[in-house]
Amino acid sequence: MYQAWNLILATAEPTPISAETGGESGGIDLLLPAPEELIAGIIAFAIIFLVVWKFALPAFKKTLEGRQDAIKGELAAAEQAKQEAASLLDDYRAQVAGAKDEAAQIVAAAREAGDAVKADIVTRAEAEAQAIKARANEEVAADRARVADELKRQVADLSINVAERVVGSSIDADQQRVLVDRYIDELGGVQ
Amino acid sequence: MELILASGECDYVNEVICAPANVNELFEFRQPIWTILGFPITRTVFLILAIAVIVSALLFFGLRKKSVIPSKFQALVESLVSFVKDGIAIDIIGPEGVKYVPWLMSVFLFVLVGNMYEVTPGVNFPVTSRMALPVMLAAISWIVFVIAGIKRQGFRYFLGIVWPSSVPVALRPLVGLIEFFSILFIRPLTLAVRLFANMVAGHLMLTLLLVSGWVFISNVGEIGLKAGIGIAWFIMALGIFVFEIVVIALQAYIFTLLSAVYVQTSLYPEH
Repeated sequence: MYQAWNLILATAEPTPISAETGGESGGIDLLLPAPEELIAGIIAFAIIFLVVWKFALPAFKKTLEGRQDAIKGELAAAEQAKQEAASLLDDYRAQVAGAKDEAAQIVAAAREAGDAVKADIVTRAEAEAQAIKARANEEVAADRARVADELKRQVADLSINVAERVVGSSIDADQQRVLVDRYIDELGGVQ
Repeated sequence: MELILASGECDYVNEVICAPANVNELFEFRQPIWTILGFPITRTVFLILAIAVIVSALLFFGLRKKSVIPSKFQALVESLVSFVKDGIAIDIIGPEGVKYVPWLMSVFLFVLVGNMYEVTPGVNFPVTSRMALPVMLAAISWIVFVIAGIKRQGFRYFLGIVWPSSVPVALRPLVGLIEFFSILFIRPLTLAVRLFANMVAGHLMLTLLLVSGWVFISNVGEIGLKAGIGIAWFIMALGIFVFEIVVIALQAYIFTLLSAVYVQTSLYPEH
């Protein structure tokens, strides 16, 4: 007949049916611990216990401590970096504030310099204008004097001519001129 | 390698499922493969000893590097350790639970790997379905929680069990008797039987379904359409397979968790 149970699994030979079970199904055998299995179990459990106790848990603890230290270190480094960044920020802020003050001072100084230059230019312009004006006045006065002299001379000449025509040439020309000038001067003094 | 599950014959022409004449055949591999100093190394013994090798290798390769940024494997092993330490020992027992981590960790990994054999291709036999292992583990749990109780409370530990001060005086003898048997006998017994029965049931279901599936399908020439039953058994086996993976992890967790709970009740009986 066909061996139905020749299938998967075991490397062992088929179990000899024990005398107690006599080939009947189930039985107390299943509930009774086999001594060799019990001994093997105790040995295996003892080995596992030793490995867990002496190696696995200390290694696990060490790993966790290493991880804890690494995290602490990272946190400390991050905190330090944060403080450095804050310090840098303060420095930059101070520098920016200083730069602003400096810029304001520069602007104020420039403004003052500009004002000074402006005032100087205005002063100089005014002085120059005054000088020009004075020069113009002088020129006007000179022109006036020159014109007056010219006018006086022409009037004298004209008067002499007129007098000569009236009285003939009895009077010397130079004397006549002197007389006319005096007269004009007197007229000028009367005015 | 001769693939033999157990001896027996299947009447696939008249039956719809192949059941062994003796269920022990699915669990008992008592024939020694080797004998070392008179000690028989049977298939089951070999698998039990292999648990120690597998767990040791898992822990060694998972935890040896101690990397700050763990690999996936290291993270997996660390999460297992952390699960037992924080999720069971400290959560259930409290800060004192740290002392019990080596034992709880060993129990969890031992049971987990022993159970995992059930769904391991080529093995397909949970060694925890052999009564020796649940009994041994339950006995260790019993020793640990009784010693924890005695160390914490001295003789009052037993007095607290047989004469519980939290119940009315009139009920104390009865409750004390129940508690006495419950704590000192039923607890280890249920611990062992729960694991044993779950693994036996899982192994029975899987082997019966897989063997039946195989037998019916491979004899399609002789039985014709009836071979379709084999396909149904295979599909069902697939579902049970997934279910058993959950049971395997759950039973390892429950065994460890209850062991921790028993220690906790020994340390803090007032809770």
